[in-house]
Amino acid sequence: MNDFSLRVSKNIYIKAISHISNQKPLSEEWFEEPIFYSQKYVRSIEPDYKEYFSLLESRRMGLILKRALVTAINVTRKSKIMNPDAIITGTGLGCIENTEKFLTALIKNDEEMLTPTHFMQSTHNTISSNIAINFKCHGYNSTYSHCGTSFDSALYDAFIQFQLGEIHSALVSGQDELTPDYFKLLKKIPYLKNVKVCGSEASVSFMLSDEENGENIAKISDVILLNKPEIKKMLGNLKCNLSEIDAIVVGNNGDVENDEIYNNFINIFDVHIPVIQYKQIFGESYSISGLGLYTAAEIIKKQKLPVINNYGGKINKVLKKVLFYNHYQNKNHCLILLEML
Amino acid sequence: MDELILELKKEIIEALNLEGMTPESIDENASLFGDGLGLDSIDALELIVLLERNYGIKLENANEGKEIFKSIRIMADYIKQHRTK
Repeated sequence: MNDFSLRVSKNIYIKAISHISNQKPLSEEWFEEPIFYSQKYVRSIEPDYKEYFSLLESRRMGLILKRALVTAINVTRKSKIMNPDAIITGTGLGCIENTEKFLTALIKNDEEMLTPTHFMQSTHNTISSNIAINFKCHGYNSTYSHCGTSFDSALYDAFIQFQLGEIHSALVSGQDELTPDYFKLLKKIPYLKNVKVCGSEASVSFMLSDEENGENIAKISDVILLNKPEIKKMLGNLKCNLSEIDAIVVGNNGDVENDEIYNNFINIFDVHIPVIQYKQIFGESYSISGLGLYTAAEIIKKQKLPVINNYGGKINKVLKKVLFYNHYQNKNHCLILLEML
Repeated sequence: MDELILELKKEIIEALNLEGMTPESIDENASLFGDGLGLDSIDALELIVLLERNYGIKLENANEGKEIFKSIRIMADYIKQHRTK
């Protein structure tokens, strides 16, 4: 394993975040008053899309494209970066709803008379390209589809592009929709079979920049993404000592096998460290790690812990460094270190 | 003819996902493309598929579409003359 952290020299800042999820959309209300679900499957709460585009403009967009565009519009407005150097999207399933419509029509019409719209907008990279068309961005445009580390891969790419000096701003997002039929299929395979939190959807956009100013939310100090690493060695390569970390955000979801990996990770740290299990709020989805990083960033911004934590009571220390950890089926593992500005 | 126009309007609203529009809000004499409904080339492809699937009309020459898709009334008139189902 290379010591990548030695090559980390540039600071990268989160300038704005926006989400559409199973919580109140485009809002930070979930941090203080999350909505808890007992159902096994919950779709996202939609904002009023008419505030963002006309019916004629949005009529060809599936839900995932509308969500992606609205969160993208929000972070461009908040950050005032209207034309980012890179648009990088992580999505596990891509435009699955349009794919289903297209394939259903294919069967129904005996492979004849297929309409173009659902086909055109059924690919994974439709999301990034749709955002680019909307903002007239002709720069770097990429899509990562790596199941539960799709968002992490997108962020890692942005991180490297920044380090190489190729870009100075990037819109990085995690986007996944989950249809009722696909949820039924996922419930039959290990991914969701034994999960206790709800199956959900995620749309979360981050605007990143290497420009330091008072309006930034947090600094991304390090990103490490590895396949089948030794976790302790991976943590050893992180750009800080473990004793400096003030809180950790992890993805326990009630599946014993999944949680064992997170629990082993938690046990490496001091027993008193605050642990936040964000999937208790946002549920499980291929791109849910984007909402995990969002949780970590909000902790730094608000200097508070969300309701779901092991700490109890009020925290009376400055939360300078928060570590986010994600793994997908104990194969790909990602660490993202955020720091207070 | 009026029944066919109403049916066609409903089918176009569904096929092109014209959310918020009703058959009453669409002028059957207005242009479908450009200033009228504001449809585009992808919609033209959807309309070609609609004609074949619902009325058994297969347009051999794409240029025919330019005339047929001028308005819903002209489209309905063409369907009335050429439908096979």
